[in-house]
Amino acid sequence: MSLLAGQILNGIATGMLYALMGLGLSLITGILNIPNFAHGALFAVGAYLLATAVNVLGNFWIGLVVAPLGVALLGLAIEYAGIRRLYAAGHDYQLLFTFGLSLILAEGIILVWGPVGISHLPPEILRGGVDLGFTFYPKYRLFVMVAAGLLVFLTWLFLEKTRYGAIMRAGIENKEMVSLLGIDIHLLFTVAFALGAYLAGIAGALTAPIRGLSPGMGVDMLGIAFVVVALGGLGNLLGAIAAGLLIGVAQAIVAAYWTEASTVVIYAVMAGVLLVRPQGLFGIR
Amino acid sequence: MSTLKRRDILKIGALAAAASGFPAILRAQSKEIVILGLWDQTGAFADVGPLNDRGMRMALEERGMKVLGRPIKYITRDGGTQAGTSTRRTEEAVDAEGAKFVIGPWSSGVALAVSEVAKRKKVVHLFSGGTEDISGSRCHRYSFQWAASPYTAAKTVVDNFMKANPQAKRWHLLVADYAFGWSVEKYVKEVGKTHGIEFVGADRHPLGEREFSNYVQKAAANKPDVVAMVNFGGDAVAGAREIFNFGLTPKVPLIMTWSSGVEELVQLAPEIRENLWVGTNFYYTADTPAANAFVKEYQGKFKLPPGYAPSAAYSMTRMLLAGFDKAKSDDVQAVVKALEGLEMNDIVGPMRVDGATHQTLRPYFLLRCKAKGAMKHELDFADVVATGDAPLPKEYAACKDIGSF
Repeated sequence: MSLLAGQILNGIATGMLYALMGLGLSLITGILNIPNFAHGALFAVGAYLLATAVNVLGNFWIGLVVAPLGVALLGLAIEYAGIRRLYAAGHDYQLLFTFGLSLILAEGIILVWGPVGISHLPPEILRGGVDLGFTFYPKYRLFVMVAAGLLVFLTWLFLEKTRYGAIMRAGIENKEMVSLLGIDIHLLFTVAFALGAYLAGIAGALTAPIRGLSPGMGVDMLGIAFVVVALGGLGNLLGAIAAGLLIGVAQAIVAAYWTEASTVVIYAVMAGVLLVRPQGLFGIR
Repeated sequence: MSTLKRRDILKIGALAAAASGFPAILRAQSKEIVILGLWDQTGAFADVGPLNDRGMRMALEERGMKVLGRPIKYITRDGGTQAGTSTRRTEEAVDAEGAKFVIGPWSSGVALAVSEVAKRKKVVHLFSGGTEDISGSRCHRYSFQWAASPYTAAKTVVDNFMKANPQAKRWHLLVADYAFGWSVEKYVKEVGKTHGIEFVGADRHPLGEREFSNYVQKAAANKPDVVAMVNFGGDAVAGAREIFNFGLTPKVPLIMTWSSGVEELVQLAPEIRENLWVGTNFYYTADTPAANAFVKEYQGKFKLPPGYAPSAAYSMTRMLLAGFDKAKSDDVQAVVKALEGLEMNDIVGPMRVDGATHQTLRPYFLLRCKAKGAMKHELDFADVVATGDAPLPKEYAACKDIGSF
């Protein structure tokens, strides 16, 4: 029983990170209408920037603020200098561009930080664990759970309760209409991409002490992010959160009783849900 | 441009055939000896392939890219850590490039498939990895195993670990779910029996797993005296990191049974390495003349000392070249016969290729990692606690007949 409870905790912590990834990808895919294959690479860049920021500045918390902002800036540049030019060119070109970009970013990481993986320990006060009664649990994971949960909530709040959030949601629904209402749709695209990149970056930064850093770390995450988007429903933000948690918890519970299947279950859950609801959990299109 | 006539098309066709067909024949007749390094640049072992390539190149370059007075043509292909890709690329290299000597790949599961190609195409195949089948149930005349037998590894690790920790009888195993993991797990359990070890849990995880919290939580729930992992590369690093995060190490010792050594250890912070015990096919402080020279040159070139991956590729290539020297020929059968029973004093120490199984009999290393304060420099990861070369006992030997050509 305590094993199951512990696994559910694990599932929530990883699920929150999956939700962050999925939320960012869902925003980009929903608003810009492009499959962002560089999302995993942005995740990796976030992790590496965190490690560097912590080493240079000597403070984890400043690093955690700076690193995802760096990724958001990178996202801004990518949209402004690259993707913007391809809106007219069609899906294939955007797809190729983001795919090429993911390779460039991964190789860039190798050039800057080297091909060998790095470990990054949690900050001093979050090392070790606490006894929760039913299980011993690492403090840092509890922190990730809370921090990622808070971020997901803030993003949701921004999208639901602010004026610009409403415009973004409208952009997902109907871009032409938003544009006709006199709103700068290009700016909206740039903001959406930067916000999506920010979420990927902070997911990477939060993950660094758990999974460490390696140039290929984004590849695993990219697949999961796409699963989350498909499962939650394209462009559906609540769906992305629910799907992230669902996958995280399913993976954890399966790993407790049938370890060999812990990776397969991600895709099995997706296939199962899509068979019943082809539009995803909360999707409408 | 005038329209093409039937004759023109025939001419073009003949030209195309000539372009694609003749060079291969020409190449095959030339004097160079073609050796294929099948090293993964993509897939689960994408990070290892470039290291293998380094080691192999160094072994060839120290001979001036020549053997038997003839030039060596080294070609390398990316197997993608996939059986399908690896076998296809191997066949292409054999058919089109005239490669008769193949070294690699790194994944034991994939190597088993490549070994079948070697058998069918009648080319020499050298491999280093954790499956016992290449020199066991699926042995044949063309494939050779450089790594220690999984039995030798398990025996070295378990015996010497228990000598240092006689009370640590409750073991939890974490095993990579493919050929290598199964082989090593089997012998860890067999050798464990002789020490009265109780295996309180044994979980298998997929190759390329990055989310280890679930396995570690389960391991912690078993309250083991020891956690022993039988996995490799990124899997081992991710596992060790999470075992530390969950507060098992350094209280509970962690064993990496079959490790890359340097390449994995450097990825772990010194805190994570405390009370970590590492079994490996090579460690860079091995005090042999060949190792000293190799480590010095490698470190000069690449800063980091070599771990198992570049060392295996280096030593396998030297083994193959020694086979050419002994055979005084590049004829496949002659080289196979020369490799059978070949004795060398190489980087790991004395090595002998068992002619009956094609298993290399050689020492395996058990390391104990140093605490942060005890490290003399950044790369002073561990001490060699013991080496062992106990060969696979007859009752386990699955290679009953190596067969004919």
